[in-house]
Amino acid sequence: METNMNKYLKYALVLLLSVGLILFTQQVKIWFNGEAAAPISAMTFYGLITLWTFAFAGVLLSDVMKKVPVRFLQEFPVLGWVSIISLVCCLLFEFPIKAIQAVDFLSITTPVLTFAGISVANRLVDLRRTSWRVGIVAIFVFLGTYLGSALLSELGLAIAGK
Amino acid sequence: MKDKGKVVNFVLFLAFALLVIAAAERIGFQSVTVGSFKIGLLPLVFAIIITMVLGMKVFRKGIFKRIYSEFNVSFAGKYLIFIMLPLMARYGADVAPKIKEILSIGWVFIIQEFGNLGTVLIGLPIAILIGLRREAIGATLGIGREGELAYISEKYTLNSDEGRGVLSLYIIGTLFGTIVFSIIAPILLGLGFSVEALAMSSGVGSASMMTAASSALIAQVPDQAETIRAYASASQLLTSFLGTYTMVFLAVPLQRFMYNKMVKRGKQ
Repeated sequence: METNMNKYLKYALVLLLSVGLILFTQQVKIWFNGEAAAPISAMTFYGLITLWTFAFAGVLLSDVMKKVPVRFLQEFPVLGWVSIISLVCCLLFEFPIKAIQAVDFLSITTPVLTFAGISVANRLVDLRRTSWRVGIVAIFVFLGTYLGSALLSELGLAIAGK
Repeated sequence: MKDKGKVVNFVLFLAFALLVIAAAERIGFQSVTVGSFKIGLLPLVFAIIITMVLGMKVFRKGIFKRIYSEFNVSFAGKYLIFIMLPLMARYGADVAPKIKEILSIGWVFIIQEFGNLGTVLIGLPIAILIGLRREAIGATLGIGREGELAYISEKYTLNSDEGRGVLSLYIIGTLFGTIVFSIIAPILLGLGFSVEALAMSSGVGSASMMTAASSALIAQVPDQAETIRAYASASQLLTSFLGTYTMVFLAVPLQRFMYNKMVKRGKQ
């Protein structure tokens, strides 16, 4: 039980670090770029609290679902649970939408990439080795998603008579 | 004392993260023109470039050796998913206010979402053909944006072949995705696809790639600018939410099936 409490305390603190970094990024963005980011207001803080709450609720829900004897629910990623909780709450109430929109979107992305960059530091050499192949694959991956969607849209529009 | 050193390293690591964020935001949004193409670089690109460059073995001396300590690097990897969760928590707020609009635009928007499986259908055979194996799983699951990055890092961690694949694609996509899309869109238009269909397909899951594809279309058909923008953002909105589910429920099983068929056949 105690190790569980410790685990969740750790998760809660890391999530707090995450929203703290978002706030820092938004402030820095305002300092350097002025109007590029939404101003920080009381609503921004409510927004960060909302994001933290949805994220933590998603973590808890994901752990609960790991005990449900349905494989599909067990394997469903925690990020999926977080988006589901977010969508349901935003459909039911207007407040979380307003609060979350007071948090600048791009300010959420910079800290994530900072962490991603540090986390791969020990694998950079391998990354260099693989990337020319992935570079070729990337072109076909991008073409694949766009061409796939375009073919289906074309078909759908034709059936819809547009 | 060993623990004290660890704490100091960790504090240095956090301070370093703040500095990197500040530096990335100071550089800000930069547009680079290559030939007739404009590449837009966001602060997040500079954040990953700075942390990766400074993490190179050459710099592992003095303070950088402490910042990139074994503990700190594995902390960043292990908890990256938690750092990403607030991003996931945002998507509901983007979709909910537009839910009626999305529903009224209808089934065509939903159908075209399945076209995103083209990453697996076209990308995976090419990847296997040129010799990629487990990296191909990360590199073809989707266009390698935050959703795939989070999924792969949760399932395999980024310190795996799959993780390297998705991260390579992520970086390539961040740097070159907009150029690729601003070329593909006019080419497909020239091949005879309707501008409506192409606009609808522009919501590939990355806001900058969507912007690149739809702007390229607007440049070709300026009369339809409003329709193109409306269709592109609606489909982007749909992908930003449905994308995760298309990936988890369709792309992952399809990829597993194709991967097993192709790799096994190759061995025989």
